[in-house]
Amino acid sequence: MAEEERALLASAGGDDGGGGGGSPGPLRALPALCDPRRFPHRLLVLALMCFLGFGSYFCYDNPAALQTQVQRDMKVNAAQFMALYAWYSWPNVVLCFFGGFLIDRVFGIRLGTIIFSIFVCVGQVIFALGALLNTFWLMDLGRFIFGIGGESLAVAQNTYAVSWFKGKELNLVFGLQLSMARIGSTVNMNIMGWIYSRVQDLLGYTGPSTLGLTLMIGGVTCLFSLTCALILAYLDKRAEKLLCKEQGKTGEVIKLTDVKDFSLSLWLIFVICVCYYAAVFPFIGLGKVFFIEKFKFSSREASAINSIVYIISAPMSPVFGLLVDKLGKNIIWVLCAVITTLASHIMLAFTFWNPWIAMCLLGVAYSLLACALWPMVAFVVPEHQLGTAYGFMQSIQNLGLAIIAIAAGMILDTRGYLFLEVFFSACVCLSLIAVVMLYFVNHLTGGDLNWSAKEREKLQKVAATEAEEQERLRRQNEDDLAKLRPKADDFSLRNKYLSKLGAQLPDNYSSCLSTMVHRSVLK
Amino acid sequence: MAASALLLAALLAAGGRGAAGREGAGGGRRQDRVPLRPLLPLQVSMQYNPGWNNSSVNLLHVRAVGPSDTLHYIWSSIGAPAVLLVATESRSSALRVNWTQLLSPAPAGAIWIDPPSSVVYSTAVVFTKVFEYSEAKTLEELFYPTYDLSDFSWDSINHTLNHTALTAEFTGVPATDPSGSFSNGSLAFRVTAYEASGRDGPLPSLLHTANSSKVEFVLAGVAPRGNSSRFVLEVATVEETGVVQRLRSARSIDDEYTPTIFEMLSLVAESQNDSSALSFLQWKATAYGSQSPRREDSIQCRSRGLQAANWTLPVSGIVHAYFGEGVGSTYTISAINISFGGEDGRVYQEKRYLSWSALLGFGQPPKDTFSPLVISIMAVALGTPMVMLLVGSCVVLFAQRKRYSEYEPIN
Repeated sequence: MAEEERALLASAGGDDGGGGGGSPGPLRALPALCDPRRFPHRLLVLALMCFLGFGSYFCYDNPAALQTQVQRDMKVNAAQFMALYAWYSWPNVVLCFFGGFLIDRVFGIRLGTIIFSIFVCVGQVIFALGALLNTFWLMDLGRFIFGIGGESLAVAQNTYAVSWFKGKELNLVFGLQLSMARIGSTVNMNIMGWIYSRVQDLLGYTGPSTLGLTLMIGGVTCLFSLTCALILAYLDKRAEKLLCKEQGKTGEVIKLTDVKDFSLSLWLIFVICVCYYAAVFPFIGLGKVFFIEKFKFSSREASAINSIVYIISAPMSPVFGLLVDKLGKNIIWVLCAVITTLASHIMLAFTFWNPWIAMCLLGVAYSLLACALWPMVAFVVPEHQLGTAYGFMQSIQNLGLAIIAIAAGMILDTRGYLFLEVFFSACVCLSLIAVVMLYFVNHLTGGDLNWSAKEREKLQKVAATEAEEQERLRRQNEDDLAKLRPKADDFSLRNKYLSKLGAQLPDNYSSCLSTMVHRSVLK
Repeated sequence: MAASALLLAALLAAGGRGAAGREGAGGGRRQDRVPLRPLLPLQVSMQYNPGWNNSSVNLLHVRAVGPSDTLHYIWSSIGAPAVLLVATESRSSALRVNWTQLLSPAPAGAIWIDPPSSVVYSTAVVFTKVFEYSEAKTLEELFYPTYDLSDFSWDSINHTLNHTALTAEFTGVPATDPSGSFSNGSLAFRVTAYEASGRDGPLPSLLHTANSSKVEFVLAGVAPRGNSSRFVLEVATVEETGVVQRLRSARSIDDEYTPTIFEMLSLVAESQNDSSALSFLQWKATAYGSQSPRREDSIQCRSRGLQAANWTLPVSGIVHAYFGEGVGSTYTISAINISFGGEDGRVYQEKRYLSWSALLGFGQPPKDTFSPLVISIMAVALGTPMVMLLVGSCVVLFAQRKRYSEYEPIN
């Protein structure tokens, strides 16, 4: 195993700088844990990378976990409460275009990661401080700053993963990072209420200071992530010195003028994405109290059921990724996911059936949608526009989330849960309309979105023979460096995006791709 | 009297919204059903202390005249605040009060309806006591001295009377207030009569019919005697024999009118013979801690089991005056406790305001239905994808045929 790793790293080093001559000889003396080429060390780096995002994922859903407490202690209504989520999204409407740029051109990956981690920490501290001082606008400000850091940190996290693990383990690493994100959210949902009650026991009363202290304790996870960022920066620097490895880059290029070239299919995918996610995340934000009030759940049960979507999607994402990859027919999968989601929202709105059924369905549908929807972008956009397409998608997704979050809060205050659920169902229906349109548009224009895997395979064979031919020619003409560049055919493009989802692809399919950094849109 | 109650049961079951579905469930008696209260606007008039030119006591007579019947609501704060509900099958039935007897220590028979034969059903709701307790951490309940509402002194309602909006307000403070809790506050019952069916604007936006009135219990500015005090209102009802009170708790998916409150409670007086509803007291499981209630001012409201009360009813002048000495024997008394405040009583502590609304009336309690907005949103939202699917299929078929026909001329 270690031999393989060494070989891999050596080739990576050679690939990057062409400076493979920097003598790695004396390194052999290092113990396994300190040798950047050895497996134990990389395992350590992997752990650090996973925990890098833990804090921000943990704190992102703090408000949802403490909804009752926030509303009671800060004396805010649901609309103001949901503004906490909206404030997180606002900076990202703009920032997701610049995250990659900042990392590549301004800060570099190491400094960038540290800066974003600091933003996350400071944001969470201000958020907690706002509660301590009983000033709600300060909490909003805290969430805003937290948002600046959070989303970009995810980009940085993925860039690190590409730079350290490109080649064999990349998909696994992405999968692990995604699982870690889910674990962060789940732990948050289930533990914050408990922390609050402990703090309440300690102080002997409930109030803004109880809430503030609880959020401060939650902020420790951010501090922990910042520590990870610092250690990671050190290790990365060290590895760079020892192996003459280059700093990781997102390599993404965003040209806003590309927007005018976007096809109708892409716009429909945007609509699906915005409407669908708007019916999931704001719902989870408001979900806890919904289960308490409508289904008479205890606080703990409500936390558990509210986190089930995250719990389910952790193991299901790779499974569905593989399934969609094997069977193709992406639009049909998206259609299934959207219809299932609609059914689960209708169940929650109009019945008193055990909500575990509806929430589990939602969790499954959510994982399926993520696996089938995101790779579709790669089919309808030429590679050079992918950065722009994903950036744009993320931007309007954040815009949608911010607006819908506030709207959902206002609807809840004035019209109650039935109307809120009807509203969410209407959002899902809008995305259903977009899916149906996409199906017909794709059908009429002869697009490849809904091909089965067999049809794709046929085309791949043609493409593969062509590619082989080209490859042979190139091999004759070019050196090894050029050989390692990613191929530009549809198939490999698609695999790049599948790997973003943590789907386990055969090794030879995987390739490191600059736009993988956009995996953060998956949240 | 019991026979007349049965007659009314038959009459009432036909009225109201859910009547159609209940047809055929009963016996032959139902043939001659006439809706007691058609959902038409009716003439409602309010009279303050009829026949008594003094405002030291309060008696409010609300008379609602329908096409063939009259409903009487007699509100009074003589003794414990109470309301008499009397349904008559005559348009000209009138309330008679013998004031000197009513204010004497033996008021039995001082209030009656003329002609007595027109009365088909009568009941009374008495607000007897307000308890205050705090729940310590050890789950022990510490009860403070009870506020007995019959010992309150009530302001004259004359100046609160609004003959167009049909509202009045009984405001009172304890006659003796050793703890000084009421020095800045008061307890009030706000009464609203309705001429037609509709829905209240402010929360909890109860749906009402012309067969009902609303009473709102308001505690304003009353200082709690403990750190986490909760208040409990005791409500007693007086029913004729042959009528039983049932507490119904209906959980509805529809919280559109009262956001986040899914539970509707109603205390329904049912005829023992055919269990048709005669009268009701209906409320949502919430109270509000603000004069202009919003969702976040919601105070949890729970009701503790309905009990047949064997004790003698605290002196409520008009109940004794109307039902006579038979109260407790010929008439059954049941009581229910309605407590306000959830896990902690903090909302009241902060706002010093509590209002709880309940609807009381004759027949079946009204039921909420989905609003047209919800129905139309769902119809459009679910309908559009279906329509698009159809249209899309047609377009695809058409396009294929067209493509096919384009090739034909080659031949």
